[in-house]
Amino acid sequence: MPELEFVDISKSYDSPSGGRLLALEKFAFKLARGRFVTVVGPSGCGKTTLLRMAAGLIPPDTGEIRLDGEILAGPSPKMSMVFQGIGLMPWKTIADNVALGIQLQTHRHTLGIDEKQRIDAALAMVGLTGFERYFPYQLSGGMQQRVGLARALVRQPEILLMDEPFGALDAQTRTVLQDELLALWDRVKSTVLFITHDLDEAIYLSDVVVIMGRRPGRIKEVLDVTLPRPRYSYDVRAEKEFARLRNIAWKSIREEL
Amino acid sequence: MTQSSIPLDGARTNGAMSMLATLGRNHVAMTVLSGLGFLALWQVISLNVPPVILPSPASVIAAFIELTASGELIKATAETIWPLAVGLVLGFVVGTALGLLLGIFRSAARVLDPYIFIGWSIPNIAWLPLFLAWFGVGDLTLIIFVFVSAVFPQLLTVEAGAKEADSFLVEVARSLGGTKHEILFAVVLPSSLPYIIAGLRIAVGRALVGIIVGQLLIVASGIGYMFQFYGETLALAKYFAPLIVVAVLAILLNRGVNWAERALIPWKLRAFT
Repeated sequence: MPELEFVDISKSYDSPSGGRLLALEKFAFKLARGRFVTVVGPSGCGKTTLLRMAAGLIPPDTGEIRLDGEILAGPSPKMSMVFQGIGLMPWKTIADNVALGIQLQTHRHTLGIDEKQRIDAALAMVGLTGFERYFPYQLSGGMQQRVGLARALVRQPEILLMDEPFGALDAQTRTVLQDELLALWDRVKSTVLFITHDLDEAIYLSDVVVIMGRRPGRIKEVLDVTLPRPRYSYDVRAEKEFARLRNIAWKSIREEL
Repeated sequence: MTQSSIPLDGARTNGAMSMLATLGRNHVAMTVLSGLGFLALWQVISLNVPPVILPSPASVIAAFIELTASGELIKATAETIWPLAVGLVLGFVVGTALGLLLGIFRSAARVLDPYIFIGWSIPNIAWLPLFLAWFGVGDLTLIIFVFVSAVFPQLLTVEAGAKEADSFLVEVARSLGGTKHEILFAVVLPSSLPYIIAGLRIAVGRALVGIIVGQLLIVASGIGYMFQFYGETLALAKYFAPLIVVAVLAILLNRGVNWAERALIPWKLRAFT
């Protein structure tokens, strides 16, 4: 049984001109447990709509999303989402922001000792030990997204949803965080659904790359990435296979621009 | 550091300029000096006009001491402070709570907003004779008048703040599993704190006007009545005593709001300090 399944989902919005704008049409995909799947596509192809539906934030118009076989009706405690805009609470310290991930998952405000240890562990995993009492504005963009990652990981999610999490960061920080994400993923082994418009990032990180066509969003091509892991320990981008996949993906995407 | 070299350099040619520059950086000295200058100017003017127009600083201080010693000023201050405090606290609590709720439940707000806007737009003073008819001459009328003065600015400011609560942060909290109740306390309330403080700043000012006007025009008690009595009898030296009390009260209330602002919103970066 797939862990997360999109069954012919469609979604449309009211367009400013008065009509309806079809963002996704009969999108169908099965996500196997423990896989790192990335969705790429031109902007406006409905990637973010797809992820917001997967997170239970908005319902599909038709079709359904199944999590472990059950229809998803809203945000699930089994999932965590990481946002491009990060979304840390500016009035909370780093430790309190990470704590919020547990508090809203368990609906209990007071944390137990083991939960406090999990917060420390999550901050250690993203290299932010010692920053517990800082406020978000005192941290760089890259460090803030590490906090976003810690807030997601502290929930020990079965599925990690990531919406262009490194899109707003500079190129160097992005590369560093990609490596860190792969190293973390080796440890936590959750299923990942990742959204990006960056082909290199998609191939570097994923087991499967889903290429979407332009609006209304539908699957154009699915690429299996067989590059050996762990990938962060050497320059996988220099591999012939990487270049081959990149070429296929780019040709496919270019037709949609 | 480069700034300090300019007055040091100028000291050789112009000692007074240098002294002013040094004083400019010393807030206590600035305050004392400007206060002394103000008193001196007052003294000079009072020597050239009749005392019924402007009494001298010395006679004002003498009147202040006399009114304090007789207990009149202290009694009047107490009569002013307690209805002010009760009305202001009630206005703050009700305005904040209602503002948050109306900021979240927009359909309820669409029904109530016109009434709130009318309540806010009518000059306060127009309510006073009505409250007098309803609640009689006494502290109840004063409390309700202060409450009405404070509650509308508090409510409208907080409602605007809660309405503007970052929709992205609300979505983040939803994705983490937050219920509507949890999101109110985890996102909407803290993001409205700067508005709650801004509302309080306006409410404090309006409440102070409310209590003085109420006592001066209608209820004939406390500080407001002292203004009326000593103003009408042209005992201007005594008139200044309640004025000093009101000024001190206003400063203390504002200091309190500043303190609350620093304590409650430490994450706010200030562009100017």
